[in-house]
Amino acid sequence: MISIRIKVTAPFCIFVFFSAVLLAMSGCRKGDSGSADGAIKIGALFDLTGPTSDVGAPYAAGLRDFVDWRNAKGGINGRKLALLSGDYGYKVDRAEQLYTQHIQQGVIAFQGWGTGDTEALRAKIRADKIPFMSASYSTNLLDMKEAPYNFLVGTSYSDQAIIAIRWAIDHWKASGKEGTPKVALLHHDSPFGQSPIADAKAFAGANGVAFTSLPMPRGATELVAELGRVKQFGGNYVLIQNVSSPVAVLLKDARRQGLHQSMTFICLNWCAGELLLELAGDATEGLFGAMPFTPPSVPVPGHQELAKWLEKQGSTLTEKGVHYVQGWWTQAVMVAGIERAVESGKTLSGESVRQALETMNNFDTQGVTTPITFSPTSHRGNDSMRLFQVKGGKWQQISDYIKAEP
Amino acid sequence: MESGIFHTTYRADMALRQTPAEKVRVVLAVLLVLCFPFFADRFYLTLANQIGIAVIGAIGLNLLVGYTGQISLGQGGFMAVGAYTAGLLTAQLGVPWYGSIPLACLATAVVGGFFGIPSLRLKGLYLVIATLAAQEIILWIVTHWDAVTGGVDALVVPDPTLFGIQMNTDFRFYWVIWGLAGLTILVTVNLFRTHIGRAWIAIRDQDIAAEVMGIGLFRYKLLAFATSSFFVGLAGALIAHYRNIVTWERFTVDVSVTYLAMIIIGGLGSVAGAIFGAVFITLLPVFLNDAGQALRGVIPNIDTILPFAEQAAFGIVIILFLVLEPRGLRRIWDRIKDYFRLWPFSY
Repeated sequence: MISIRIKVTAPFCIFVFFSAVLLAMSGCRKGDSGSADGAIKIGALFDLTGPTSDVGAPYAAGLRDFVDWRNAKGGINGRKLALLSGDYGYKVDRAEQLYTQHIQQGVIAFQGWGTGDTEALRAKIRADKIPFMSASYSTNLLDMKEAPYNFLVGTSYSDQAIIAIRWAIDHWKASGKEGTPKVALLHHDSPFGQSPIADAKAFAGANGVAFTSLPMPRGATELVAELGRVKQFGGNYVLIQNVSSPVAVLLKDARRQGLHQSMTFICLNWCAGELLLELAGDATEGLFGAMPFTPPSVPVPGHQELAKWLEKQGSTLTEKGVHYVQGWWTQAVMVAGIERAVESGKTLSGESVRQALETMNNFDTQGVTTPITFSPTSHRGNDSMRLFQVKGGKWQQISDYIKAEP
Repeated sequence: MESGIFHTTYRADMALRQTPAEKVRVVLAVLLVLCFPFFADRFYLTLANQIGIAVIGAIGLNLLVGYTGQISLGQGGFMAVGAYTAGLLTAQLGVPWYGSIPLACLATAVVGGFFGIPSLRLKGLYLVIATLAAQEIILWIVTHWDAVTGGVDALVVPDPTLFGIQMNTDFRFYWVIWGLAGLTILVTVNLFRTHIGRAWIAIRDQDIAAEVMGIGLFRYKLLAFATSSFFVGLAGALIAHYRNIVTWERFTVDVSVTYLAMIIIGGLGSVAGAIFGAVFITLLPVFLNDAGQALRGVIPNIDTILPFAEQAAFGIVIILFLVLEPRGLRRIWDRIKDYFRLWPFSY
């Protein structure tokens, strides 16, 4: 008898839960919209609890603090900024929910985070006409047909790899060695990790540099086999496109085997940070970093406001690190676009913010990055950056700006 | 005051819905599903669509785990098979989206049946590991078979259109998703009135006894894997066309765990339980987030602890449910109904 009743209740269950949804809808929702004189709303997805939260949390703090700082200075033409944000824990489903929730609440611009969610939202962003910046610098997002509303503030992963190889060739020659070096790219086994491979390979090929790429298995507790394969290949320079924890494992293994003598390791954006220094300690000494954003250990004018703001909160920029700087300045570029849209006198919308961003020519980040330029045909913010090296447990600048395409 | 449900004809005994109250509830539920999109905004439509897909996936998994007793951690992998098959058929071969969905279901059923072969020899924890292997193998193939799946890059699927109308807006795809969810519910509810469904339940309760009674274990276990995967593939195919982009990151092992959580919390071995669980697990983080936002003004510095508090609350709610009612939300719902049916003279 019971079993029959269970089957019958199926449709009613939907009813109960949908009623709950409807009730919640009437209870929790306020009539949000991007009203003319109210706050200007920006949406944001944070990873504060997921697998990339180690770098996601400082980046999120940077995005948030810039808005607070700007509001403390009076906002844009007297209008406050509001950041509508949520933690999505690197889950694509949650990202979609939060995205539509914030769009519904009337945001006119959006700050995303990972490659997975940015890719998944690409079509929606295009349909909603919402300018979208994220911490994913994949060249896929530069496709103006597929992703006409995505903007890259950081140097793209491909450009990072090309610049690192360009530097490696010079470094090889400068140390008086013959011929060209051999370059290996060790990467995270994901769209994020694979993003720079094709362009790096093409660039290496064009410059007569032997090139190979190897995935680093997810969750590996030792990477001796991968290092062995690089050794077999005869790699002189090892580019690393991964996040801090696996790279710490890699560097420690390399040190244990004495490979740091024969191989030069270069971290791209997401492992070149203070967190890696903490995790891998001495093993990072001498490590190079291709960093699109200047770390706090190399003071530039673009760090001053952040440092002052953090001091007021009882924190320091050194404690927050380079990814905080990254978040802060990404938000600064977005807000500068919104400001231009307001000044242009057009109705403030995603479309007008996009058009305003596309007029951005050599936007000065005060030494944090090379100036940012967007145009209607290209959303590639810049194509050059500097290299840094760990000396005495701190990132120190060792090169001038290098362009991906001279 | 009724003292039981009595049938005077065989026809009444076989009916799917036996009391007037049940019939009224079904009508109400259908009406609600039909009216909902006209009142909901885009955010709630997105939630409803995600719930619809989760309902289909959870019912599929419950066929296997709840009814047949074959525990599976391969859900994410099977969804990936459905999503990639549907996506590739449309993107590469130009099969219309409505044609690619049934083909994707069939392909997933075949793959599911294949990975179900070890179930003849393996039980319990051993089967869990075997299906976990299926999950990993499928994702490995998806991310490394560059020539077909495009490797780890996202697969872009053309927008589904019907008579020139773009279908994958939240409002239009709602009808596709809930239409198919309704069909899935109808099919599965009836499935357990057939000899196949009863054979599965017999296998779950005692496989040796079932075999002695003449149920071919191999055949029915494989059938369970294939049927379950069919619906799971449907959920995957719907994701592909709804989002018109397929990335493997959506089908990782935590998806498998989440779906297991849905059917355990909802109630194993029940279609209604799968629906309850799908709704509950999808909405819980949303409500927790909203509650947290509402508390923002009340508690200072809540921003820094909020995400962690949400995670903790999610875990606590699930543990409480399991401790207080291990048989899930479905059992709670039955008890509520019993209470009101017998009120005020419960025995």
